[in-house]
Amino acid sequence: MSTITADARVSSRALSRAHSSVRRRRYLNNAGTVVLSVVLVVWSLAPIYNMVLISLEPEGDVFNDHIWPTVPSLESFWGVLTQGHWYLEHFWHQFANSFYIGTMVTFFALLFGSLTSFAIGRMRIRYGWLVSNAALLTYVIPASFLAIPFYRIMQNYGLADNPWSVIAALVAFATPYAIFVFQEYGRSIPIEVDESARIDGASPPQIYLRIYLPLMAPALVAVGTYALLLAWNEYLYQFLLLSSKASMTVPVALAQFISSDQSPWNYMMATAIIYALPPVAIYYAFRRRMTAGLTMGGVKG
Amino acid sequence: MAYLTRRSVLRGSVALGATRVFGAPHIAKAAATTATVWFAQGFVQDEDVALRKAVADYEKASGNKIELSIIPFAPERQKIISAITSGVVPDMVDSNPNELLQLYAWQDKFVDVSDVVDTQRAQFSETALESAQAYNSVTKKRSFYGVPLRAAVAPCHIWRPLVEKAGLRLEDIPKTWDAYFDFFKKVQDNLRKQGERKVYGLGFQVTANGVDPYNLFSAFLIAYGGQDIVTKDGKLHLDDPKVRQAAIKATAYLGGAYRDGYVPPSAINWNDADDNNAFHAKLMVMDVDGTLSTEVAVKEKHPEWYYKDMVTHGIGYPNDNAGKPVPSIVGVTQGLIPKGAKNVTVAKEFLTYFIQPKVVGEFVELGLGRWLPVMPSLAKSPFWQNPKDPHLRGYIQQGLLGPTRSDYYVFNLAMAEVRSQHVWSLAMIDVAKEGVKPEGAIDKAFKRIEEIFAKYKVA
Amino acid sequence: MMDSASVVDVGRPVSRRPAISRSLRGGLKGGEYAWAVAFVVPYIAVFVTFVAYPVVYGLWMGSEISLYRELFADPIYQSTVVNTALYLALGVNVKMFLALLLSGFFMRPGWWMKVLLLIFVLPWAVPQISTFISIHWMLNGEWGFLNNALYTLFHVEGPYWLNDRWMALGAVIVSHIWKWTPFWTLILLAGRMAIPLEIRDSARVDGATGVRGFVHITFPLLANLYLICTLLSTIFLLGDFNAVTFVSGGGPANSTHVLATLGIRDAFEIANPRLGVAAVMSALPMVIPLVIVLMRKLRTAQVQI
Repeated sequence: MSTITADARVSSRALSRAHSSVRRRRYLNNAGTVVLSVVLVVWSLAPIYNMVLISLEPEGDVFNDHIWPTVPSLESFWGVLTQGHWYLEHFWHQFANSFYIGTMVTFFALLFGSLTSFAIGRMRIRYGWLVSNAALLTYVIPASFLAIPFYRIMQNYGLADNPWSVIAALVAFATPYAIFVFQEYGRSIPIEVDESARIDGASPPQIYLRIYLPLMAPALVAVGTYALLLAWNEYLYQFLLLSSKASMTVPVALAQFISSDQSPWNYMMATAIIYALPPVAIYYAFRRRMTAGLTMGGVKG
Repeated sequence: MAYLTRRSVLRGSVALGATRVFGAPHIAKAAATTATVWFAQGFVQDEDVALRKAVADYEKASGNKIELSIIPFAPERQKIISAITSGVVPDMVDSNPNELLQLYAWQDKFVDVSDVVDTQRAQFSETALESAQAYNSVTKKRSFYGVPLRAAVAPCHIWRPLVEKAGLRLEDIPKTWDAYFDFFKKVQDNLRKQGERKVYGLGFQVTANGVDPYNLFSAFLIAYGGQDIVTKDGKLHLDDPKVRQAAIKATAYLGGAYRDGYVPPSAINWNDADDNNAFHAKLMVMDVDGTLSTEVAVKEKHPEWYYKDMVTHGIGYPNDNAGKPVPSIVGVTQGLIPKGAKNVTVAKEFLTYFIQPKVVGEFVELGLGRWLPVMPSLAKSPFWQNPKDPHLRGYIQQGLLGPTRSDYYVFNLAMAEVRSQHVWSLAMIDVAKEGVKPEGAIDKAFKRIEEIFAKYKVA
Repeated sequence: MMDSASVVDVGRPVSRRPAISRSLRGGLKGGEYAWAVAFVVPYIAVFVTFVAYPVVYGLWMGSEISLYRELFADPIYQSTVVNTALYLALGVNVKMFLALLLSGFFMRPGWWMKVLLLIFVLPWAVPQISTFISIHWMLNGEWGFLNNALYTLFHVEGPYWLNDRWMALGAVIVSHIWKWTPFWTLILLAGRMAIPLEIRDSARVDGATGVRGFVHITFPLLANLYLICTLLSTIFLLGDFNAVTFVSGGGPANSTHVLATLGIRDAFEIANPRLGVAAVMSALPMVIPLVIVLMRKLRTAQVQI
């Protein structure tokens, strides 16, 4: 009898020690998470905090000696929203253009990228590797140095000053990357999934729509955000290919600020901050889709 | 593309010159077409308004349409280069940067505009006419490829309150070169004694970025007697002892000011706007910077700064150390017509209209005087001679009425590359930070300049 | 249905097996083939219409030998190459490694993680002209935010960050990492989510959590994606001039230029676009091997689990 209670005592002590070590590990884990979170927040926000400081400066001075806003003024933000500065006269129109170009580039990059990687990676079309290797050629010369020939062909195609020239150029740059990521991502999805659907009589478009796309959701969100931000913030091609006021975009408007000797930097920073919010919001809205893959990862046949 | 014969265009221009009014029926009927014009954006809104007004007036007078694209100043050069390289060009563009005129005229990429210039030839200043010409390596001749529109020089900008805080008076500032700039060292010393650690006396752009360092160094080079570094025939004269001495002195003074702590230490890596940022925040007492943009930008929001606190040599630009006036380098903005433009006729017509003294005079005046006219007769206007304005009279004196000269790339394009490669900046930085002696720094700089000049062969 | 033979055994690398049953390889049947072709045609059309000519033209622009003679004669070419090598080596690898670690961190559940990820994405989302200029101002020795903060909070006089070549280059590299890590984190995060739940669960049951789980399960599955991302990032970074242009301006004294900024300067300031293309193409000898590896990686058989 005494051994049983002795054993029971020993085992209960061992159990409580195990519990406390688990608790300690969890505590360390949480502490580590908190520390890392703080570091990430400070790291990510520092330059942006500086931008906010400048945007609140009534004089738009960028050099000063305080680290908190001393005389904060929302004049610049108000000026952006009401188009109150002459650099920002057409801000909302340019914003609409940016939005249009952004969504179109995202849509087509995702569409063409996923279709192509589906045909190459899943359907295994012959010579598919030729297409993905050719796509790689797009990146051999950096985009900024291809601007001049792009400018020329857009004129030849009659797309001068047309937002579609920018859309076409950016889709051409974003799609290869989309193809590579989708192909790589798709490797983790067993081909049996496709095969069993085929056996069930599904046609390729159905497989693409019902099986492939849903499983690719996280990659679609990630690459889609990339394409959106590429088009959203891209400056050189929008600047070169668009000339008229009606077709200008916000990045080009931002470039005005770096031109002059005495720029209203507070307005520039306010514009940049306001302009950055929509893509973040869009990403947030679609982020739920990323986790959809978590449950569908282990697909049943 | 239709090139009109020289005679028919001349005939048209003479008719314009005589009547000064579009509306002669035969012109209006012949050319009711559209021309694309690219122009740099101004630094204040008034400049753009002035440009649009001139364009609108032309459209009304001629019946033609102008598609005007106002392009941000700094990126415009990328757009122009892309256009000319790809062959898809607008009908008229401004020379931004100015040396594009000489660069592409050499490659025969511009339309000869002598006929346009001739309509107002007598009005232009010598310097303006000089910088509108370029050598064409295909026709092997020099000719007018640009139409002078407006000009700029680099005055000194000074904060009066900082000078007064140091217990000194701007009226007492010496009028000779070295003493003039030494004055600001004294201002800084006095401010330091009062505990102002963060304010610096001299805003020298000792950096390898932007065009300011080149302009600054050139001004010092000329002041010290080295103005013949490149003569009008395009020849380089680095072996001229006067040039070498002047270059060494300029490097010594500018680099030395940094080394001795009178220039903000971060200046060594300033970008184009940092000097203006520091000046605007009153962290520097003086700044040498092109045009009156610094003052004009604050005129509306801080009139007290414009009228009282900011000073641009209302006290007279310093003379050289011997007391003689120093010629200022003038940068002239030209109207250019690229070859391959679809509507050369209207482009020429527009330029001809634009350079009528009344029109171009109004253009620079409506732009608040940030840019100077290139016609001396316009300097007498009540706008420029306004006794109540503290800046305009001095500005136009420096940039138009007083002794001026063209920049060196007008004579030899290689100088533009010397500027892009920041050769003078590197010399200044050698002395300022690397402890190199001015002679050594200049030896290195001169060697590099020779290499660059060897790449450009001019007849 | 996954049979037991394909369940991952902790401690062994993931096994490979021929991707597709031989009946399918080398030929899709009739109607399916038509679909496959229809699926690739859109991208091919985009490529032929918009990419082929500019790339060929670009290659032509950089094809003259005399350009390279002029390029190598530029006194800053050598230091530029060194800078570029450092920029690529450090910028890409530190960034990707951080992305790998952080992608694991962000797998955690909880509302706080969602908020944190949003904050983390901001550097990438805000236009880089603005953020890099902001960093440039922050690093100003006399009046910048960083030194102000150091002085106000810790009474430390910060150095002149941008006055020294290596500090300025370091600032550029850090700025690049700051901006782009969120992007690659998202990609790797998506990659992690592709790992089927069953594998993760069974691995956890088998006791493979934490570091062991990472080394034996996660990383082998992510390895290919990681490699492809690294290679692509290197190629992208080669053409990226924004960080250098706006943070250090290529200075002090032209000492922090990279090939991309040298190319831009030659193309647009000296107005010699062909020389600019030559500058970036002079890095091709290093890029080509990467491209070849990438091409081979994209071609390998599907990893089966």
